Amino acid sequence: MTGIVAAVAALAGLPALAGLPAFAGLDAIVPLANLGQLADLVDPTTLFGIFLNAISKFGVYVTIAAGLSLIFGLMGVLNFAHGSLTMIGAYLGGALMLTFVSEATGDVVAIAFFFLALALVFAIVTAAGAVIEIGLIRPIYDRPPLFQILLTFGLVLVLEEGMRIVLDVYDVQPNVDWTEAAGTRPDVLGFHEILGVTTRGIYQFEAVVGILVVAATWWFLTRTSYGLHIRAGSEDAEMAQALGIDVRRSFTVVFGVGAGLAALAGVMLMWDPRYGASVGLGVETLLIAFVVVIVGGLGSFKGTVVAAAIVAVVDALASWMLVNDVVTFSGLPELVIFLVLVGVLVVRPQGLFGVEEVGGH
Amino acid sequence: MSAIELDDIHTYYGQSHVLQGVSLAVEEGENVALLGRNGVGKTTTLRSILQLTPPRAGTVRINGEDVTGLATHEVAQRGVGWVPEERRMFSHLTVAENVRAAIPPDADPAERMQLAFDRFPDLEDLREHEAGSLSGGQQQMLAIARALVGDNDILLVDEPSEGLAPLIVEEVVEALQSLPDDKTLVLVEQNVPMALALTDRFYVIDHGEVVAEGDSAEASLEDERIRRYLTA
Repeated sequence: MTGIVAAVAALAGLPALAGLPAFAGLDAIVPLANLGQLADLVDPTTLFGIFLNAISKFGVYVTIAAGLSLIFGLMGVLNFAHGSLTMIGAYLGGALMLTFVSEATGDVVAIAFFFLALALVFAIVTAAGAVIEIGLIRPIYDRPPLFQILLTFGLVLVLEEGMRIVLDVYDVQPNVDWTEAAGTRPDVLGFHEILGVTTRGIYQFEAVVGILVVAATWWFLTRTSYGLHIRAGSEDAEMAQALGIDVRRSFTVVFGVGAGLAALAGVMLMWDPRYGASVGLGVETLLIAFVVVIVGGLGSFKGTVVAAAIVAVVDALASWMLVNDVVTFSGLPELVIFLVLVGVLVVRPQGLFGVEEVGGH
Repeated sequence: MSAIELDDIHTYYGQSHVLQGVSLAVEEGENVALLGRNGVGKTTTLRSILQLTPPRAGTVRINGEDVTGLATHEVAQRGVGWVPEERRMFSHLTVAENVRAAIPPDADPAERMQLAFDRFPDLEDLREHEAGSLSGGQQQMLAIARALVGDNDILLVDEPSEGLAPLIVEEVVEALQSLPDDKTLVLVEQNVPMALALTDRFYVIDHGEVVAEGDSAEASLEDERIRRYLTA
């Protein structure tokens, strides 16, 4: 009996599966080390540990994807520069925190400064996003989507090379995490134990920030007249204009807020030991943002939230399997995330909550 | 001063010269029908007034002000409401959200919303339903309600009876008849008797030009001015 089949059969109570020749050789495809560990999944402490990891990843993924979801979903604009804005947010946040915080700064004050940095970076990049929309994106709305892809891809190159030049001036290494900035993270967000599970406070902090981002974005879209105008304009821009709504301005606001949210995610990731501020953060976060938005469905912020939760749980489970040597293939978490994407695209190409057509300008 | 004045407007779709010098005037509080066969430029005339399809030549004036070249939302903010062909609901928004989207920012939303529901009580029961789930008649009522909750003195109504059952058309007619007297109405409608019954004057458009005009009360389907341009 192959190891994986034996484990799955044992868990499912179907030992007869063991003899099926169709399963022979599976172990050769998926490198397995210790399938017996899977039995630990029924242990409450193990499950709680996976849950803590999942809510942390949810906070990260939903924050990374929220801005892209707004821009892609409501405007139909493919913003390949989204990850680069996250990268810029990480460096801006790091620079602000290094300005605000010293070794003598207490934990509570450091966290207060962190939220101040979040607000400042959000405001700066939102304004920059509005300028990008007016100056670069607006003139090509009537062109085929390829123009948006080329333009925003060009922006990626400009922003990344621009950041490398700035980092060179300040003698900061662009290809590795900015440890000085990460060092502003207060001790309270370091290692601690919750119900027998050793974790980092930053992970729960990210979950809280993610939930706040979801709540604020949801409130903005559903409880403000601006949000209503944006939703109306994204559904039928011409009709919205005929009702007196300045749709162009609404789209400028959407692009600005989407860019601001991307940068806000960067400030958060600057403190996260799994990410950190580096130029490579842009590409790293762009992929996951696209996966979450596509799985959730274009045009649906609710879909983005649900997809972030699904991807986070799958990722947390795969990470647990890797850390506990159930599977020795180090790329397993990334692999399963993209398998989720492929599975959803095959079964439901418009995504879990997607509408057939999105965006309008 | 006319509520709407079109002076020799020429409007194109790409290379297609659709309106070829349309001139007309609609006085304040007047109801006017635009009649003509399909594809002669009636809807394009409404779109040109709103600058949705801006004329390449000629002038559009709203209450004496030249609005040619303004953005559509700026024309709408000058008191022009549009009830388009096929209703054009925001189908994923609720009925209440559709109405609220049309309320000007300086108006009291609750008061305006209540005005709309007082005029169309059936909509109040459906206020939390997605507009896309409404029947054709309910959508038409919502489209009219949406145009009324803005500060609109002028309503441009395009084919309101299209695709509706006769009983529902009667409701639409009642809704349009009950509009306040000070509203200016420009109605595009294939149902000529209905259009004449709802309006004070009519223009007949053919091949992008105004070819006839007159008083609605004195006209009928047998009228030579209408018959010549409406029958194949």
